[in-house]
Amino acid sequence: MRTAWLLVALATACGGGLAPEPICAPSLVGVCGTVRFRGAVPANTENVFIAAYVNFPQTCTDLIANRQPLIPGSVPFNDSLSLYSVALSPGTYHWVLAVWKKPGALTLTPADTQFLRVGGYYRSQADPAQPGTVTVPNGAAAGDVDFVVNFDSLRPATDFVTCTGP
Amino acid sequence: MLRGTVHDSAGIPVRGAAIAIPGTTLATRTDLEGRFRIPAVPAGTVRVHAGAIGYGFVDTTVALTGGDSTIVAITLRFAPLALPPVDVISDKVPHFGDRPSTSVAQVTEQDLDRRAVNTVDEAVDHAPGVQFVNGQINLRGSTGYVQGLNSRVLMTVDGVPMNQGDRGGISWDLLPVDEIESVQILKGAGSSLYGSAAFGGVVNVTTRDIPNGVHTRVRVTGGLYGDPPHSVWRFRDNPGMVGSVDVATSYGNDELGGRIAVGDRHSDGYRQQDQDDHLHFAGKGRWQPSVNTRVDVSGAWAVDRYDVPLSWCSRGECDDQGQVFQPFKVDTNELGARTDSRKGYLAAQVRTTVSPRLAWVARGSWLRTHFTDLRRSATEFGISDRVGTEGRIEAHPDSTRTVIVGAEATFSDVTSDIFGGHTQSEFAAYGQSDQRVGPVRVTGGARLDFLAVDGGSLTAVVSPRVGITVPTDRLGPNGGTLRASIGRGFRSPTMAERFVRTTALGFQVIPNPSLTPETAWSFEIGHTSAPLFRFLRVDAALFWTEARDLIEPLLVSGDSIQLENVARARLAGLDASVIAAPIPHRLVATLGYTYLDTRRRLAGSTTEGPLAFRPRHLLTLGADYSLGPVALGSDFRFASSPQSVELEGFVDSRRVPVKVLDLRARWQQGPVELRLLATNVLNYIYDLVPETLAPVRTITLTAVWSH
Repeated sequence: MRTAWLLVALATACGGGLAPEPICAPSLVGVCGTVRFRGAVPANTENVFIAAYVNFPQTCTDLIANRQPLIPGSVPFNDSLSLYSVALSPGTYHWVLAVWKKPGALTLTPADTQFLRVGGYYRSQADPAQPGTVTVPNGAAAGDVDFVVNFDSLRPATDFVTCTGP
Repeated sequence: MLRGTVHDSAGIPVRGAAIAIPGTTLATRTDLEGRFRIPAVPAGTVRVHAGAIGYGFVDTTVALTGGDSTIVAITLRFAPLALPPVDVISDKVPHFGDRPSTSVAQVTEQDLDRRAVNTVDEAVDHAPGVQFVNGQINLRGSTGYVQGLNSRVLMTVDGVPMNQGDRGGISWDLLPVDEIESVQILKGAGSSLYGSAAFGGVVNVTTRDIPNGVHTRVRVTGGLYGDPPHSVWRFRDNPGMVGSVDVATSYGNDELGGRIAVGDRHSDGYRQQDQDDHLHFAGKGRWQPSVNTRVDVSGAWAVDRYDVPLSWCSRGECDDQGQVFQPFKVDTNELGARTDSRKGYLAAQVRTTVSPRLAWVARGSWLRTHFTDLRRSATEFGISDRVGTEGRIEAHPDSTRTVIVGAEATFSDVTSDIFGGHTQSEFAAYGQSDQRVGPVRVTGGARLDFLAVDGGSLTAVVSPRVGITVPTDRLGPNGGTLRASIGRGFRSPTMAERFVRTTALGFQVIPNPSLTPETAWSFEIGHTSAPLFRFLRVDAALFWTEARDLIEPLLVSGDSIQLENVARARLAGLDASVIAAPIPHRLVATLGYTYLDTRRRLAGSTTEGPLAFRPRHLLTLGADYSLGPVALGSDFRFASSPQSVELEGFVDSRRVPVKVLDLRARWQQGPVELRLLATNVLNYIYDLVPETLAPVRTITLTAVWSH
């Protein structure tokens, strides 16, 4: 029986149990938050990722070349709510958005826009029609950068920027 | 008539001791003063068996002369390893001194006092092989968790089935814990005597008898819930509180007796939206119109109004303070959800001892439940009435054989906006014979059940069972015993399962009136050892259940779920318990371990997986030390994480093992007793059901005054 109680002490000492899980890891420098999905997921969905721009892009070239991170990650889109975190350099970002992608190889040229759609963007608290500004502090993360992506109203890049070529 | 008293070797009366005359229908229990009386004992020399929890067994002879009362004084010796005198258990008839052929866990009145529990389910939860999953009892993994839509375990109170008429669940708070004398937990299929719902086992609750004289008991409890262990989970400024008051008083003489009990409880709950208000009344009466006949009437009524936390807050569903989940908070869309519940029962039983060889029992009962779920999205209600009657004859044709035959009828009526208006009728006949062949006892019996829904065609189910017990030494009732049994269990679909029409997790749940009963064959072989090294006793059993036509939710179209008979399952494992008394009169330690292996396969599929909500390992450890008026104790419970949950992918996937430590202390002086109980003292945070926080640290102080 003494052995049994030693096992108890061991099992108890091992701790475990549920613990707080911050959405933004303490070591993250970048942005983090949630993406809520609405509508039916298109059958040709390949990926959803988060992108950020220091300045609002004006052209398709800006859209591809100034994107951070340049190589996109991915956000799970099978649940109605997904958590994300993206490492970014400290600074102020004027457009942070969720991008939908259909199948196709990215070439990091303006031609990539044919595979991409704007799913949703972080909105200004003062004027929700406008993009919100996100500041990533030195050595920390900007939290609560949340999006809503409506799969039924994905928008092409040309709704936001001017594209002169393919 | 045989009268007498039972004392221990220090001259203190032993209450609740079982007294029986073997081979006859004559048996009783001692009252609070250790007194007993058995009417209709034939003249001549008779053997008398006596025993009690924690005391050795006594077998004596008494000479009675015709027409006179004989008084006998029996002394029991303290023996912590003595097997409890299992008297009325799986066989519905007294078998004093005989061990049953199936596994039985007992929660005695002393256990209830020692553990300082405040509700019946808290008491049962510590028995070996038992696990509660968010209020649903699992015996060897029988039920899992089905959101209260059914139970594969039957509960009886003084022999009266108490599963709800609509959902088949068990209302654990219907009876106050002070009304409970003992709980016997029969593991494995028990349908051969108990019918539907005894698929995985039976929980038999025995209420206190009414002693002679005036007795009053007052119980006051106050306590605190622990704060969340992390400041980021704080959800209120002051700690939650819990408190209750219970009063019971009784009067009895040789002919009549009655008791009433009333109690009130309020709890702030340990999480957001978790308040609970509970009020209950309970009563019991006995009348002995003749020496051979006894009438018992009992009833209870409970009113509850409790908040329903539904599921905890996930990111964005509340002020999440930057957390992925907030287990102490609820989704703000579900704020205000609560349930109003009213439930009660009334039961009456007549027992007539025709002769020492023959007795008959008749009972009638009425169980009513009425709930109203108040949600933002909808208000739902259900009213069910379940009326039952049973007649049973007990016969002892000779000293080696016991036979019982009985018939039972139950009628359930449901009115609900989610279940509709429906009725279900159940008719059953059963019989069982026990034959002693030398030291071996063989049991065989069967039950035939007919079920009809809304007056439609009858469904018949046959549930046979055979069992055997073989002594493995010559130590008598306190020696080692080998047992084996095989039996069939079944569970009739509840009316909630057949007719529910609601919305859950965004899916439409549609009715399926054509559901058929779940069935299972259950086998076990076990051994109870004789005392080892004078301070240790071991019990172990291997069990195996093959179940088919299990009812589970199935996605039948893009947005619709229907309950269907789709799954086959195997539940196999080992159930073991150890009791040790290394320091006589001082220290008692217990260990219970259950290993459970489950396999589930859908009809038409070859892929197997584990059953949802079943832990593979379940361990309970307990120790109690007493010194004079003071007693200290502790319990530890470990359950491994379930290998799967229902609706995987739609719910939070966090799962952690259960590691809960309880501590308790007790002080008794004369009629006053103080009990301190700290449950989950390490404030271990865990969930048994997705997105549902299990109880946190709770400290209660209870004062009991008995007169």
